[in-house]
This record gives sequence, C-alpha cells and structure tokens, in this order.
Amino acid sequence: MTTPSRLRIAGGTVYDPANGVDGAVRDVCIEGERIVAELPAGVPRLDVRGMVVMPGGVDIHAHVAGSSVNHARRLLPEEHAADPAPAPQLADGPPARSGTGGTVPSTFATGYRYAGLGYTTAMEAAVAPLAARHAHAELDDTPIIDSGFYVLLGNDDYLLRQIAAGETARARDYAGWLLGVTRAYAIKIVNPGGVAAWKGGDGNRTRNVYGLDDAVGSSAVTPRKILETLAGAANALALPHPVHIHCNNLGQPGNFATTLESMRALAGQRAHFTHLQFHSYGGERGKGWRSAAKDVIEYVNGHAELSVDVGQVMFGSATTVTADGPVEHLLYTSSGRKWVNVDIELETGCGIVPYAYRERAAVAALQWAVGLELFLLAKDPWRVVLSTDHPNGGTFLSYPELIRLLMDRAYRDERLKAVNQKLLAGSTLLDGLAREYTLGEIAIVTRAGPARLLGLSRKGHLGPGADADVTVYAPDTDRAKMFTAPRYVIKGGTIVVEEGQLRRASAGARLAVRPDYDVAVTKDVKRFFDAYASVAFENYGAEQ
Amino acid sequence: MSAAARTVEHVTCLGCGCACDDITVVVQRGRVTEAQQACALGTAWFGDGQVPDAVRIRGRADTLERALAEAAQLLADAKGPLVYLAGDISCEVQRDAVAIADRLKGAIDSLASTAAAGVLAAQRRGRAGATLGELRQRADLVVFWGVDPGARYPRYNARYAVEPVGLAVPAGRQSRRVIAVDVGDARGPADADGRVAIPPDAELDAIGAMRAMVQGRAVPPDGPFGTAIALVQEMTKARYVAVVADAEPGPTLPPDPDRAEALIALAQALNGPTRCALSTLRGGGNRSGADAVLTWQTGFPFAVDFGRGYPTYRPHAGAAERLAAGEVDAALVIGAPATLPDSVAGRLAGVATIAIGPRASAAGWKPVVAVDTGVAGIHEGGTAFRMDDVPLPLRPAFDGADVRSAAATVRALRERLEGAA
Repeated sequence: MTTPSRLRIAGGTVYDPANGVDGAVRDVCIEGERIVAELPAGVPRLDVRGMVVMPGGVDIHAHVAGSSVNHARRLLPEEHAADPAPAPQLADGPPARSGTGGTVPSTFATGYRYAGLGYTTAMEAAVAPLAARHAHAELDDTPIIDSGFYVLLGNDDYLLRQIAAGETARARDYAGWLLGVTRAYAIKIVNPGGVAAWKGGDGNRTRNVYGLDDAVGSSAVTPRKILETLAGAANALALPHPVHIHCNNLGQPGNFATTLESMRALAGQRAHFTHLQFHSYGGERGKGWRSAAKDVIEYVNGHAELSVDVGQVMFGSATTVTADGPVEHLLYTSSGRKWVNVDIELETGCGIVPYAYRERAAVAALQWAVGLELFLLAKDPWRVVLSTDHPNGGTFLSYPELIRLLMDRAYRDERLKAVNQKLLAGSTLLDGLAREYTLGEIAIVTRAGPARLLGLSRKGHLGPGADADVTVYAPDTDRAKMFTAPRYVIKGGTIVVEEGQLRRASAGARLAVRPDYDVAVTKDVKRFFDAYASVAFENYGAEQ
Repeated sequence: MSAAARTVEHVTCLGCGCACDDITVVVQRGRVTEAQQACALGTAWFGDGQVPDAVRIRGRADTLERALAEAAQLLADAKGPLVYLAGDISCEVQRDAVAIADRLKGAIDSLASTAAAGVLAAQRRGRAGATLGELRQRADLVVFWGVDPGARYPRYNARYAVEPVGLAVPAGRQSRRVIAVDVGDARGPADADGRVAIPPDAELDAIGAMRAMVQGRAVPPDGPFGTAIALVQEMTKARYVAVVADAEPGPTLPPDPDRAEALIALAQALNGPTRCALSTLRGGGNRSGADAVLTWQTGFPFAVDFGRGYPTYRPHAGAAERLAAGEVDAALVIGAPATLPDSVAGRLAGVATIAIGPRASAAGWKPVVAVDTGVAGIHEGGTAFRMDDVPLPLRPAFDGADVRSAAATVRALRERLEGAA
C-alpha cells in the first residue's frame, strides 16, 4: 500500500507504557505525521490483529556518525567487503543507496538497518565540537531515523580554564554557546580530565586520571569539579537531557568505586551515566576482576535523579571507538590489534581498536554477565535503558538477541553455561536471577524510557500529538526472531517497512537544542580562539 | 556589477591541504584584487577569480539543458562508467557525485588515490595522529621526515607545527626543537635545529631499528643506524613528538607503502614512552573531503566500484588502472581538470568524457560535454576538509549569481539520472 495521510492501525496488541497501556487490544490512529485520538470510520486500515504494536525504538547512545566513526569505518575495509548492503528496493521516493555494513556501517546502511529493526530515533553519543559540521553531514546522509548528537565537553581546554579560575557561570554560558553553535542535543563527558591528561596537558606523565580528586593540570581542576560544573550547567540551561557521563576508569577492575563516587558527587542532580556495564567491575588491577553490578545498580535504584544505559557486551565482533584515548591505548597494547588515535585540538581525543568478545574469554564473559545483572537487578526500567554502546559492546543489530536474553530465562541460563566461568564467582547471575522482562518492560527500556530521559515529548509513546513512529511485530516465542524483523515500521506517518521489507526511506529530522546563555561569553571565547585555535572563531561550529 | 570593493574575511583557502581559514579576500570590479594572509600557492589559487563560463557539446557552445541531457545519455549507455572526483569541489558536490556512481553502478575514484600508500598502510595498522591544532598546542619536538613543507604546504610551519604559541608550548618556536631527517635528496627544513641523514636504501631498516629501540630492544648505538638511534632516544625524552611526512607524490621521495607503514608503526610505538602523532601532509582542493565522503557513504576511502550493485574496494584498480586497462567507456570528471594526475588525465582522451567543474571547457583531453562552473571556496560555498580531516566552511568571495554553480549542476545531472528508471 502507499502511505495514506490517515491510517488506522487496527486491532493490534498495544504496548504504550507512557500512557499506561500494557498489552491492550486497541487501534492506533495516524493523521499526517502525528498520532491522533480517533479517526472517522472508513479511513484506510492496516490490519494488525494478533500482532504487537509499540512506539518506534529510541536509541539513547550509539556511535553512528561523525569524525571518530568515520575514522573507524576507514580502518575496517575487510568488514565492509564482507557485508555488502545493496540498495533496498523501494516502492516510491528517490532511489535508495547501496552501502556496506560490518560493525560500523556506511551512513545509508545505518539508517536502513535501524529502521529495519523498528528503531526510528538514534542519538550519536560523542562528537568533537571541531567536527560538528562533519557529524551533521553524515546524519544528513543517514536516512529515516531522527537523530542528534551529544557534544564532547569534559576535557575541553577552555572549559578547564574556567573551572581553574572558578568561573562557573562562564563555564555554563560556554556550554550554552557551544551546544547552539554546534547544533548539538546534549553535553557529553568522557573520562573527565583523563583525555586532557592523555594529551599531555602540563607534562602530565601519568597520562590519565584515576580518582575523582586527581588534579588535571591545575589543582583546582579535578574530575569531580568537571562533573559538578557540567551537570550544573546542563540543569541550569534547562537542557532536555541531563549531562551524559562516561566515567573515569572505563574497563578497569575495581572501577565501580569510581562510578559510585561519581554518582555521589552529583547527588540530587539529574545525570545520565552511560554504558554502566563498563564501569561496574570489582577486583583490583593486577589481581583479577569480579562483578560489582549489584553495588552499582542498587545505588541507581535508590536515586531517582539518576538514569543509566547499560552498554551490554554481546559476543561477536565489535569496534571500540571512544573519545577515551588512554583506554584505547591500553586496549591496543594488550590486544596487539590495529589502533587509531587522534588527539583533537583543545577539545578531546579519539581512539579506535577493532575487537571481538568471545564466550570463552574470561573478561568478556564477565562483562556479558555484568550487563545482564544490571538489567535484571534494576528496579525502575524507566531509568535503565537498553544499549550496547554500539559498536563498542556489539552492534545495534544485536539488540534482538539482547532482548531474548532479558525475556527468556531458560535461554539465558543455557547461554550462561556456555561462557567462561573463571571470573563469574561473585556474579548474582550464578544465583539464578529469575526475572524475565515483559513486553511492556521491553517497550520501556527500548523506547518509552529513553524518549522520556531525552525529554522528547513526542517520542516513545502513542498518545495523541506524538510523532507517528510505530513498530509492529509478529509475535514469536523466539523473541530475538520477533524483534529482528518487524512486520511494519511507520516513521513520521510514512510506512517505511511493509510486510517485513524496507519499502520507503523518508529523511529523518535533526534534534538539536539552542539554550539561552549570556552572550558576553563569546568575546572571551573569541580571545581564546585568536590565541590558540587553528580555525577561525567565525568558522567554528555548524550553524551555516 | 558593482564597482564597490567587497571584502570577505575568514575565507578558507584550498590551495593546499593546510586549508588556512584566515584569508581576507577583496573583490573589486568583479576581480579578486587581494588575498591577504595567503601564501604564494594561495594567491595563485585565488587568482583573479575569473573563470570561463562555457557549456560545450563536442566543442560547440550549447545550452546547459542539452549538455546535461547528453551527459546523462552517455553515462546511462556506458558499460564501464567512471566518476572521478577532481579538486576544488565541496563535500556537498562530492556527496551527489557518489550518488551518481551508485546509480550508474559505476566506478568512482578521487585525488585521494594519489596518497593511496598512506591510506592503505593506515588501514592495515591504524595510526597515531592528531589534528594540526593539537600539534600546535603540544609538540615540543617536531621531526620532518624527508620533507620541507615550505614548498608545497607553505604555511604549515607558521600556522600549525612549528611557529605558533600553544598551550604547552608557551614560547612557540623557541619552545620546540625541530629535526630534519634527510632521506637522500629529500631534505627536511634548512633551518632545523638538528639534522639526521639517512640513505634511501637504509631508510626502512633505520625506522625498524628506531622502533625496536622504543620497544626496549637493544640496538647498538655505534652500529649502522647510530644517528637514527640517537634521534629516537631524543624522541622518547620529548613530551609530545610530531613526525611530519608527505603523503602526496613528490619529485624526490615517491610515496612508498612500506615507509608509510613503518612510520605509522614507529609513531604508534612512541606512545609507550611518550606521546607522538604522525602528521601526513595532503594536497589541496578538498581531496581529504573526497576521502571522508566516500568513506561515510560506501565504507571505503577511494577506488570504489559499484558494479555489483554495492560498493567494493579496488585500491589497486583505481581510475588510472581502469583507464589503462580499457575498462572505462565513459568518464564523468567533477572538479577542476587541471588538478588531475597525469596517470588519469593522460588516458581520458580515449574515452567519452563529461567534465563539470572549474575550467572544464579548457580540459586538454577534449570532453564530449564540458560545463564550466565556479570554484568551491571562491564562487560557491559548502564544506571542505583540511588535511587532518577537520571540516571547514567555504566562504565565497563572489556571491555566486554570475557564475554557474557546480553544486546545482551536479545535482541536476543526478536528478536526471535518477529520474531515468
């Protein structure tokens, strides 16, 4: 069928947790690009009796576009050669584009594959301000999904100077200016202070920070101060999404203490802690690892102002790509794989190592278990979002398998037996966590929850006024199968997936904020640019 | 045409890969009369801003409409179409050009293939790099490996790696030590603080010995690589080392995949004891943009073939090799013909060609269809990438009304080809 301007999605079993609907048989009505309460009888119908209807998926954290992602693509010709993506046969509209897949697909393939999975919104999680223009160009070439990005700020030299000088208000105004000039959606912190140290600021020979009160150049600048300043800025600027934090010590045994201390440092303030799995390890460096998932998730459970995404590790190929330069250097030296590092002037870093998580590897098995524990011990699904930190823990194409692990205890237990047990001793997973996610809870952790945490009031639900982003699944006891191939996906009122086939590829919208700030800050920023930057202040950002 | 002078500031120059964005361009009576801050290369690149405005089919003046129809027909009928991304076009034009190649199931290549040795080495190993501004902030030891940027990248030293003040380099040039590595006749800068001479036939072994030293393996200091060993010892003691090498083909030191890989491996290893970034010099005309655009749209940076209905990578069968093998029967060259390497330009006379870009009508290989356009960054806007992949906006000194836009022309051709099912 072509997409009518009015459509009744009739007779499906609807999961719309934001509106309190948990598996009720009802119609969903679409007029134009929005959901409406009712339509007259006689409008075109899509008969979905017996099928499951949910809002379109919302990915709160993925690496899909921009300079770091493109460095990763360039590094992986062998993956692209092995996973060709011919242009889909579309019913109408401009011709589709071909591409390649692998862990870091080309832009068009990224858009088509997200839509094919029933996801209609995705947020790129780490963009250097200097390369904002590049990220927007790639997102423009990423069809169907609505998208935006988080701009990197936790190691920014201008910001660190303001913190050193105690200029909290100016730091806030700088963040406001930077979000607007780069057309970003939220503030991202990656290893606060650690990337600056890696780049050699003030001759720092440790090349990272390890504790919240380590000095970053000036003794007045610490990871704690960076977290406080930027969390405060995000909340003062009334951003729809709070500060998005990748903690210090990613991937290190014993790092759960740093994670908890970071959470406590922001007590009472809204904050989102990302890929929590990579930050929930007990043990000690050189003395082994263990799970500390329970300690971390219990703290999250007790603090309603915090939200997290899990960053689940899935067995198979991955590509680690992050602004956390020192962690990638460590992975390079320990894995011997190929490695990209790009230090980005005055702002941040970028490191990339292609990787694989193997079931028989002790650390990978622990990481897998820790992620599942976080999910299964979480009390409030609205604050614990499904992610794999694509493509770091696995690609977004592994979400259906992850959903199966969460929904099907027997399957999970069987998989658990097959993994290396060496480091699983303290894991609650071995105690036989019985929880099975319901479809309603899956709808929360994959759409309603992330949409709410992002402040996207028209996403993640099916109430009147919502964007007409709807996914229809054919139920299957094999939940991986069910979530891999939705029968219908409707994006902004356009039927993009029909009978399981991608049939249309509308353009996605850009999600960006433009907060108010005191413009006096730009004079000082321009002075800093004139003194140190290699690009003109006037050419910075992505506004024109 | 207004007689009043028009002045545009913060203009990005694409005369070389430095992409200096501090140029002030003055236009008077329809001509560029000044390009302030620009080096000699930049001044030549801006020229007087005059470009021809011809549309030709088989050498005769014709309408744009008919030229585009003819071009579309030639390409649609071709069995082995090739799209080539030449210089002086924006990323926006490059994006449409890749779409055309995808539509045609043709091959596409770009000026990036001239730097293939370095790209392929980085695909095998990765790389340790930095944006140019980070070298400015950090590098206290700058090692020029067989290259003096003065000739082909004139403001590289002044704007990035050597002269300017940086956060950790408070006195600029005085805070840095500059070493020239002379590989045979390929010499580093004359005003370096130190020099190391390496015979070309010993270069790879010397780099290998340096890397072994960095990795803690003993290399005799009085052996054949003594001076190189002394250099690497100095490097490990620096706070942040920049190694600068030319990725473009030059008269003295042709690109070599083994050297490119050896330098990458050395730079990576130096990040054990210290910090190090390898800066590979790239030419102008937004060739780095072509590399980036092809990578994000196809997964591969150059020499892509859509013949199977999806992108495949043919790094050893790029435009020059395909033309030489007679596999191309129609070529669409987008960009300035003058920027083409001889290996491509010299082989275009034998095939049906369409040229769209600055001074297309002057192409020596006599295009079947030629459409002159403005120059990205002089007559039209958009985005271009610096040699270190930093994207910059283009600020045309002319407002564009008088000069045919490459972006609009290529978009029109794309729409024509996409309309033909």
